[in-house]
Amino acid sequence: MSGKHGHKPFEGHMHDYMAHIKAVEEDLEYYRAKRFEPRIFYLLRRNVVTFYDLLKVRASLKKKDHFFKLAKPQGKNIEARVRYLEEWLDEYVKGIALVSARTVEGMDMVTEDNRKERGDYDDFFKIKKKEHHGTLEERMANLQQDLADYSELLEVFVQALILRGWATREDLAQRWKQLHDERPWAGGVIVAKAWSDPEFKKALLDTGREALREMGVHQGKVGKLVVVENTDQTHNVIVCTLCSCYPYDILGDTPWWYKHESYRTNIVQNPRACVKDMFQLEVPSDKELRVWDSTSDVRYFVLPQRPAGTEGMSEQELAKLVTVDSLIGAGYALEPSQLREREAAHVEAEAPRVRPD
Amino acid sequence: MSEMASKYKIGDAVMVANENPTGNPRTPKYVRGKRGVVGLVHGILENIRDHRGIHKPLYTVKFDLSEVSTCHDQVSIWVDVHEEWLSEVKQDS
Repeated sequence: MSGKHGHKPFEGHMHDYMAHIKAVEEDLEYYRAKRFEPRIFYLLRRNVVTFYDLLKVRASLKKKDHFFKLAKPQGKNIEARVRYLEEWLDEYVKGIALVSARTVEGMDMVTEDNRKERGDYDDFFKIKKKEHHGTLEERMANLQQDLADYSELLEVFVQALILRGWATREDLAQRWKQLHDERPWAGGVIVAKAWSDPEFKKALLDTGREALREMGVHQGKVGKLVVVENTDQTHNVIVCTLCSCYPYDILGDTPWWYKHESYRTNIVQNPRACVKDMFQLEVPSDKELRVWDSTSDVRYFVLPQRPAGTEGMSEQELAKLVTVDSLIGAGYALEPSQLREREAAHVEAEAPRVRPD
Repeated sequence: MSEMASKYKIGDAVMVANENPTGNPRTPKYVRGKRGVVGLVHGILENIRDHRGIHKPLYTVKFDLSEVSTCHDQVSIWVDVHEEWLSEVKQDS
């Protein structure tokens, strides 16, 4: 279990706790409102579990029988407490994945918000977001309470699935373990193949999603995928200035800063300064910068340049050099020496959370 | 996905409307009233999660940074804009 929000630009130590807390608040509401609760409604309406199952389970559930067991915080200082909340969020998200995937036939449903629920046409239909106020300490306390509440519903829901015989505790435990095991990240696999296989690279740049189908990578569901290539002449950066559109279905989650207002504003105002300030990325002034703002149904990611010193490396080795940031244009792919340094320092690879479906 | 139905082609100079014409509201404020050039033509994309129906053809329009910001730099901003937001700009000969 590990916090996945803690990468650049605040790698190592956190500098802005409030920004971390805001990112957790936002993600938590997203997963509650868009990923978990719609599934509950869906299953309630199909009588897979009922409201009354949930009430019954809740009334008789003892702490020792809980399926989810959360580790204790590692320390009392503020950084440890922020990390703890981030890790709790990660566990909550994995818990949603646990009850989503193939537990019940037909459960794999689309819960992404549509334009109606985004309030594009009428504010009445908008999925209401919880508002967060107060000092850092107050917000952390509120967040902890929300996490406890939301996790409790998840716990009860899992117990109800067991009670109704949709899954055994053993099966769920096994799947829970798998969710925590490392899996190769699709972003790394795709880029490594593009670096190694010119035909695939051409197909990827020309056709986007179609190329992924051929290589057997989960190719997602929505809209069109455009892959933009970094070259000696051009550096590409991705943003969604309106919200946080991103090819989640292929690449998993964004770094927390991707949704941050400062990034979404500055990257289209003064991109060269923005990538320098936020990511310590100096793009030479004679190199063209292109910023891609995904405001509609196209999703973008960047094909980073293959680092020097990687001749003869296998796709599997190459995949490890690919970072989440490099696919957004907020960084370059790692050089082998940088990867070795990271591994020696036990800096965690930026494997993003994989969304429940 | 039908690129045949698209009114503009790559390289066409276009201007983004200031007001929301009809339908799709997802055009960011910073490009409204700005001039750009069609960079990519996507045609009509069917978004299976949108229950309202199909929108007008989509383009990625390339703007010079100086058009949308006070900065001058070798930077271009590429923004997805639907057709109803765009009008043709007569090129100076």
